Amino acid sequence: MDILNALVLLFNYIIVPSVAYGSQLALGALGVTLVYGTLRFANFAHGELMAFGAMITILCTWWLQSLGVSIAPLPTALLALGPAIAVTVAIVLITDRTIYRFYREKRSAPAIYIIASIGVMFVMNGLIRFIIGPSDRAFGDGQRYIIKAQDFRDMTGLSEGLGIKTSQGITVLVTLFLVAALFWFLQKTRTGKSMRAYADNRDLALLSGINPERVVMYSWIITAALATIAGALYGLDKSFKPFTYFQLLLPLFAAAIVGGIGKPVGAIVGGFVIAFSEVTITYPYKKFLTYLMPEGMQPSGLLQLLSTDYKFAVSFIILVIVLMVTPTGIMKGKTV
Amino acid sequence: MKKTLLATAIVAAMTTSALAGEEVKVGVILGFTGPIESLTPDMAASAELAFKEASASGQLLGGKTIKPIRKDSTCIDAAAATANAEALITAEGVAAIFGADCSGVTGAIANNVAVPNGVVMISPSATSPGLSTIKDNGFFFRTAPSDARQGQVLASVLQRRGIKDVAVTFTNNDYGKGLANSFANAFKAVGGKVSISAAHEDGKADYSAEVGALAATGSKHLAVFGYLDQGGKGIIQASIDAGAFSDFILADGMIGESLTKHFGKDLNGAIGTVPGGKTEGAQVFATMADKSGIKKDGPYVGESYDAGALLALAMQAAGSTNRSGIQTNLMRIANAPGTKIGPGEIAKGLKVLASGGDVDYVGATNVEFNKVGEVLGSFKELEVKNGKFETIKIH
Amino acid sequence: MNLSANARRATLAFMLIAIMLVAVGVIQSWAVMLTIFNLCLISSIMALGVNIQWGYAGLFNVGTMGFAALGGVAAMLVSQEPVIAAWHAGGWKLLLSFVSLVLVIFLVAILYGKIKKGPLRQLAITGALVLGYFLFRAFFDPASDAIEAIDPAVAGYLGGMGLPILLSWIAGGVLAAGAAWIIGRIALGLRSDYLAIATLGISEIIIAFIKNEDWLTRGVKNVTGLKRPVPYEIDLQKADWFINLVESLNHGTLSQFGADDRSAMLRQMVIEASSIFVKLCYAGLFIAVLAAILTLSVKALDSPWGRMMRAIRDNEVAADAMGKNVTRRHLQVFVLGSAVVGLAGAMLTTLDGQLTPGTYQPLRFTFLIWVMVIVGGSGNNLGAVLGGFLIWLVWIEAEPVGVWLIDNLTAGLGETSPVRLHLMETAQHMRVLVMGLVLLTVMRFHPEGILPEVVKREEGD
Repeated sequence: MDILNALVLLFNYIIVPSVAYGSQLALGALGVTLVYGTLRFANFAHGELMAFGAMITILCTWWLQSLGVSIAPLPTALLALGPAIAVTVAIVLITDRTIYRFYREKRSAPAIYIIASIGVMFVMNGLIRFIIGPSDRAFGDGQRYIIKAQDFRDMTGLSEGLGIKTSQGITVLVTLFLVAALFWFLQKTRTGKSMRAYADNRDLALLSGINPERVVMYSWIITAALATIAGALYGLDKSFKPFTYFQLLLPLFAAAIVGGIGKPVGAIVGGFVIAFSEVTITYPYKKFLTYLMPEGMQPSGLLQLLSTDYKFAVSFIILVIVLMVTPTGIMKGKTV
Repeated sequence: MKKTLLATAIVAAMTTSALAGEEVKVGVILGFTGPIESLTPDMAASAELAFKEASASGQLLGGKTIKPIRKDSTCIDAAAATANAEALITAEGVAAIFGADCSGVTGAIANNVAVPNGVVMISPSATSPGLSTIKDNGFFFRTAPSDARQGQVLASVLQRRGIKDVAVTFTNNDYGKGLANSFANAFKAVGGKVSISAAHEDGKADYSAEVGALAATGSKHLAVFGYLDQGGKGIIQASIDAGAFSDFILADGMIGESLTKHFGKDLNGAIGTVPGGKTEGAQVFATMADKSGIKKDGPYVGESYDAGALLALAMQAAGSTNRSGIQTNLMRIANAPGTKIGPGEIAKGLKVLASGGDVDYVGATNVEFNKVGEVLGSFKELEVKNGKFETIKIH
Repeated sequence: MNLSANARRATLAFMLIAIMLVAVGVIQSWAVMLTIFNLCLISSIMALGVNIQWGYAGLFNVGTMGFAALGGVAAMLVSQEPVIAAWHAGGWKLLLSFVSLVLVIFLVAILYGKIKKGPLRQLAITGALVLGYFLFRAFFDPASDAIEAIDPAVAGYLGGMGLPILLSWIAGGVLAAGAAWIIGRIALGLRSDYLAIATLGISEIIIAFIKNEDWLTRGVKNVTGLKRPVPYEIDLQKADWFINLVESLNHGTLSQFGADDRSAMLRQMVIEASSIFVKLCYAGLFIAVLAAILTLSVKALDSPWGRMMRAIRDNEVAADAMGKNVTRRHLQVFVLGSAVVGLAGAMLTTLDGQLTPGTYQPLRFTFLIWVMVIVGGSGNNLGAVLGGFLIWLVWIEAEPVGVWLIDNLTAGLGETSPVRLHLMETAQHMRVLVMGLVLLTVMRFHPEGILPEVVKREEGD
């Protein structure tokens, strides 16, 4: 019996990575859900938007690094976020003006918006590779770890280590801050309230004199800011490669829908549900139980529910099940 | 309609090959985009180094030069790869093809385009054991040894170092899976134990779940059969971050300077194998590569140079750029008997052949073809010391 | 839009495509042109399948990739020879595991019926499912391990049925239809955008299955060297009748040369001709399939059934009120469209000569097909075909044209200019960008596509 080691093991391999990954998904899913709430369509270009934001952040970071600017032990990329958000917001507003507004005026069906967003996805996909290329780009600097696994072992004398990266810490803190700020904005400010009203009942909101174009504009601005930050944090924590952002699209949708699309709280819950289930279902509990079981009763098999081969299928399976069982999601989002 | 179509097609094809003149076109089809896009530039440059050497000698078929034409194999999309290979053979009229790289597209190009058109294809890196048995009619060659052999070499390296229990993760494609299979069998045969053999997908960002699963087995060593700029790197990153593994075993796709540059001393003690030369040939090639700005220790770089040199020599031996002539002579110039030709000695080889002699190309990787046109190959055992790959031994 | 204007437009559009293909043939080569042409045909069939779902009934299925992959699996399962050793090693145990799976499903059904709704039923069913999962794994894991251990370099799977591969085109359709029936039963109740996301997710699950269940599909190790419905080039090159045919066709050209040159030239001609001959054989088969499906689609759309489908698409509530069974019709059209996509998937795998699960990427097998349908003209069968041709041509030729353009536009910058080098390196990404621009432009300025849907009305409209 070795409860401490078992706990540390669980923290190191399940809780820490899942919390970081969940935060990244939550930030992305918040963007998806905001667009869905006000514009009523699933934005297939959101993954590419995150990649775009991350790309601008990287370009700014490189420029800052070349100037010798540094905020060590924090990564320089945090400084670059400001201009990156500005550029991404501009791009998103241009996209809205030239593409989505046309369909809004025509009151097109959601499917038409989705197809348009697929077009935007293609264009951004090509544009990003055109500008920064398809390869891996490193842009992280500053202190890499908050605690190194080996240091933790030496410090505590336990046989299990616990490693926490700076980027994981920053991700969680930034997510907490952004979520708090977003909720304050939606609950307390006039613009936020009008956005919520518009998302809940469009006709009623129009009757009470809310300017729909303004609401849409604010949604896009917030979406672009969230996407940039999410994309940059994601790139900082893992690595930046355009292709991985495209692959992120489905987990993002899964998170948004599982939580209840259109509901900001749902996006956050959904992000963590997806992240935790991906890890917990594919984790072999052999070592964990080995610590907990008395001598001689240790398990011989790996005790893995599902092979990691299917890790990425887990989020889709959850998505499909939720859609079948409770299509409005855990938080009772928009009706289907 | 069909008649005229056929006739015009043939006339068009004839004119393109007739126009080749003093320039001999050779196709270079590699995955310039896709999963191994970071390895291919050096491979292409290496083959082109051999072409340049042959051209500059002025000996090739009385002073002809080789013009390489690059095309993308995408590494994964068989339809796009065959279309590109088709364009190389029928539109550009190449004399032979250098490539392709990934085993899947290589099989598709060989079966659907190269063999039907009677064009020699010589791959520096397709290592799938399954390619040994394709119906290639004698047109498919490879200078990289099959994965079946690397699995055995790796297993015996570990046995000699007293490593008994490893966790294996492989990139989820034919290369990774094939190598994982052959390694597992060889390792079991020498008394080792593979505690888990789990796939990882390339192009994903988060590998903590995979590393969690691998670490849960309790094995001390992690064997990574992937690509150094893809999932393989992600797995190592996640392992180091979580403190899950510090002892890595790396296969050829993971060996490269970009890996040690990224991880530095964290990678110390990692063991790897990579196809690579015995003899002084490898040394000579390494200095040549250095001079041309090619990463000398990159995977398949020496194989690429050798493949390029073999094509040039085969043309000379055939006395023409005739496609079937290249095929019939490739085996002869690569194997004994004959004057031994090392890297940088292409001019000498061309001269010997021109005067009616016979050569035995040894090159950077000690090339010797077996009867199905592939090499047994030797492997370098590497170890990371002080954040640098160092060659320990040749197997 | 009246009928004859549309017909004129169709003729013009197809003539334009023909000119583009001929241009490829002249500038590059006829073999390249035929390679592109064959893929155009397959793309058109896939686009027809999507058009049946979207254009007829407004079903937003973004899971094309999954059905195409199932068709590919069918091609392999039908044509490959069975691996007897693998069947001996694990075949029976595998069957046993599926029997246990069926038993568990039975058990769940019984529990569902016997126990009243409530926490007890949930508990019992969950318990049965968990037990059943472990029972299944207990039989399945050793069986699949045993199968995968049989000569993994070339086999390691159960193999197929050893039948002619042409049969697999039908089998691919049937397999995809079966999968579509199950998926449709659970997912078709969803609203359009949810259906899109659900089908996108399901198609990824299908690919994950094909990639990882090696005992069935050999997974990522690929199955190469599939049978062919057409002769092999190498056999043709040795066949006397073929050599004679080529010789007589080119008698004029050949007679201008001396005996030595003539035989070398003939040899080369035979090689080139064999490759073109094989491609023409494929083209003939594909054209036959395309013609059959196109005829059936046009007939169906003009029939009362087609009118009903459109009525349901345009106003579901009204159609429902008229007594039309909307759910049933949706399922029907979903299954039909998926079957066509599956058929095209089997054809594509046949043409490739190998099953490579790694090639199935949503960008290429789902979104690109959607671009074809939207650009071609949703609801119009001929439009889908046109879209298939046009978009595939652009998809393949955007790269060489892009390289050529960049090469010429930046020629003044000098060979080593960094701008030029960067552009040349990224030229292959042009096609994705171009594709998006084409889609957005068509949607904005011609939302009904190049060939709009033809609506025949009895009275003036």
